Amino acid sequence: MRISVLRNGAVLATLVLALSMTCVAAQQGPSPAAKAEARPPPEASPSDIDGPTLFASVCGFCHQDGGRTEGKGPKLAGTKRSDAFIIARIRNGKPGAMPAFGGAFSEGQIVAILAYIRSLEDDAN
Amino acid sequence: MALRGKYLTGCAVLALAAMMTAPALAVDPSRLLTADQNANDWLTNHGSYKSYHYSPADQINAGNVKNLEVAWTHFPERSTRGIQSTPLAADGVLYYSGSYSRVYALDGATGKVLWTYAPELDEELISKQTHSPYNRGLALANGNVYVGTVDGRLIALDMKTGKPVFDTHLVDSKKLTVGFTGAPLAVKDTVIIGSQGGEWPWRGPIFGVDGKTGQKKWEFFTVAGTDEAKATWGGESWRTGGGGGWMAGAYDPETNTVWWGTANPAPLYDWAGADWQKSGPRPGANLYTSSVIGLDPDTGKLKFYHQELPHDAWDFDSAVGEFLSIDRGGQKLMVHPNKGGFIFVYDRANAKVQNVWQLVKNVNFVKGIDPKTGELIGRRDLSAGKADTPLCPAIAGGVSWNSGAYSPKTGLYYKIAQEWCMDITVIRTTPILEPMAQLNIGADFKLVAPPDGPARGHLDARDPVTGNKKWEINYKEPPLASILATGGNLLFVPDSEGVVHAYNAETGQELWSHNNGMGHNAGIISYMAGGKQYIAVPAGWGSLVSDEFAALWGEPFKSMAKNTGALFVYALKQ
Repeated sequence: MRISVLRNGAVLATLVLALSMTCVAAQQGPSPAAKAEARPPPEASPSDIDGPTLFASVCGFCHQDGGRTEGKGPKLAGTKRSDAFIIARIRNGKPGAMPAFGGAFSEGQIVAILAYIRSLEDDAN
Repeated sequence: MALRGKYLTGCAVLALAAMMTAPALAVDPSRLLTADQNANDWLTNHGSYKSYHYSPADQINAGNVKNLEVAWTHFPERSTRGIQSTPLAADGVLYYSGSYSRVYALDGATGKVLWTYAPELDEELISKQTHSPYNRGLALANGNVYVGTVDGRLIALDMKTGKPVFDTHLVDSKKLTVGFTGAPLAVKDTVIIGSQGGEWPWRGPIFGVDGKTGQKKWEFFTVAGTDEAKATWGGESWRTGGGGGWMAGAYDPETNTVWWGTANPAPLYDWAGADWQKSGPRPGANLYTSSVIGLDPDTGKLKFYHQELPHDAWDFDSAVGEFLSIDRGGQKLMVHPNKGGFIFVYDRANAKVQNVWQLVKNVNFVKGIDPKTGELIGRRDLSAGKADTPLCPAIAGGVSWNSGAYSPKTGLYYKIAQEWCMDITVIRTTPILEPMAQLNIGADFKLVAPPDGPARGHLDARDPVTGNKKWEINYKEPPLASILATGGNLLFVPDSEGVVHAYNAETGQELWSHNNGMGHNAGIISYMAGGKQYIAVPAGWGSLVSDEFAALWGEPFKSMAKNTGALFVYALKQ
C-alpha cells in the first residue's frame, strides 16, 4: 500500500519524538562519523517532508520498486532492522555501497523516509 | 682515471638497464594521431582517436592463443567498487587507474612498480556520493598522465616520476555532489574532460584545459549551452537539467572536431506523457542532453550536434563514449551507440544521420527510429503512475558505457547488447539542491525479464554501417567490460562472472579462456614490451550496473566481492 505519510505537523512531531526516544534507548549509538555530523542541516519545510517523494527522487535508484524488492540495494519492506539502525544507515551510509545522507537530509526528512519504509507492505508476509 | 672510467661505465650500464626496464618516454600529442596503426602502445582510452578498441599486434593470434597464460599481476589498494578503468600503455610502460583516482605506472614486461600516485581527496564528500569513487581511465600527452577526480579536479602527473604537474579544480563538487569519473581526452595542447550529470540536477559541463599549464580554456554546458538550447527548456528547468558527458569521446583530426556523447536530462523519468513539449518537469526537447555534439577542441565552440533522443524520458542517454571513424564508399562516417539499444551512423562532417540500426531485441520505448532522419517513431511517453507493461530496455540500458571493438581486418563491429526490461511507476519529484544536490530519479522501478526470454546479454558481430549480423554469442549475464579486437584475428571479451574469453574474430569460435575469479567492469588492452605482446585487463566487480546482477541472477554475484580488484596481464608461454 502506498501512503503519503507525515503531512500532518502534529503527527510528525510525535513521530520525531518517539523515534528520538527509541534512538536514545537503543544500544546502537551513532558512530563517530555520525557524531561528527552532529550539526543538523537546516530543517526542511513541511512540504519537503514527504517520504514517498524523497524515496522516488533519491533512494529508489538502488532500493527497487520503492524499496519493495531487492535491486542494487537490499529490499526494505519488512526489514527487521531497528529504527535506530535505519536512521544511522541513512545518516552515515555504508562506504562503497550507500551514500551518507546526514549532511543532505534534515532530521525530519530522514524520519519521513523511515516512516515510508515502515509503511511498505511485505509481500513475503 | 680507472675508477672514473669504471664509474662511468657502471653509470652507462645502469642507464641502459633503466631504459630497458622503464623506457618511459614522453607522449607527444601528435603521436596520438596515428595510434590506430601502432601495435606497440595503447595511447588513448579507446585505443586511438578512431575508438576501435583494436590493436594491430598479431604476435598472439588465433593459432597460438591457446598458449596464453598470466605473465604478472598487480593488486591496487582501496578497490572500492572494483576496478572500472581501461589501462594505457606507452613505450613498454603500463598506466592504469583505480578507485579514488589512484594511478599506477608499471613496467609492462614484468609488472614492477615504477611509481604510484594517490591524490588526497575530499573523503567526506565521497561518503555522500552515489556514482563514486571509481575511475574509468587516463589520458597521455605532453609528457603527462591526466586523471580526473570525483571531487571535481583534473590532475596532471609527470609520466616518468608520477609527480603532480598541475591540479586544477573545475567543479564545485561540495555543492553539486558530482565530479569526474570518466577518462580525459588529449587533443593537441588541450585536455578535455566531461563531468558527471544525468540524474544530478545541474548543467553537466565539458571542460577544455591547457595540457601544460592546467589553466581552464573553455567550458561547454551540455544543458542550455547556447541560446538555442536554452529555449528548449521550459521555465527554469534548464538550471537543474542534468546532462554531462561522463565518458571520453573521440577526435576527428580532418575536421578538427571533438565528438562527445552527452548524458540524460533530470529527472530521469517524466510524468508529462505526450504533452512533454508544454508540461512536466522539463518541457521541451532539452538540448543538448542525450545528444552527440561536435566541439572545436581549441575553443569549446559547438560546431554541430544531433540529439539522438529529443526529450529523453527513459534515461537512454548518449554518454557512451565510443565514436568509430569508418570510411566506406567515399563516405566518412561516425558510428555511435545509444544506451537505448540503437546504433547511429553519422556523416563525420556534420553529424547528419546516415543510418540507424537496432542492436537490442527488446525495445519498446519507441516503435523504431527512422534510419534516414533519426526521428523517433512511436515514442512511449509515460504519465504519472504505474505503467501498464514493462519499459524496455531497463534503466541499465540496451548498451552500457563499456565499449565495443571494431576490426579493420574483419570489417566487423563487435558490440555487447543487454536484454532486460523493468516495471515502472512514475512519481512526481522536485529537484533537491540544498544543502547539496541529490539524485532526481522520478520513479520506482524493478528490473524484470524481457518478453522474449530471460534477462541476458549477447555479443554481436555486425557490419558497423548497415548492422548486418554475421554471428552472435549469448551470455547468461551481459558482459560489462570493454572488449578488444586484435590483428591476430582475435576478440577478447572479459565477462561478468570473471572469465576472459578469446574468440576467433571471423567466426566467433571460442579459442581460449581464463578465470580471473571476479567479474570485469573495466577495459582490456594489448601492448608490446621488449618486443613481446601482452594483453592486460583489470578485474574487480562493483559498478552501478553490476549491482543489479545479484537480484537477477543470484550466485556468483551474491557472493562476489565488490571492494577488491587486480590487474591481470597475459603473454604467450615461453
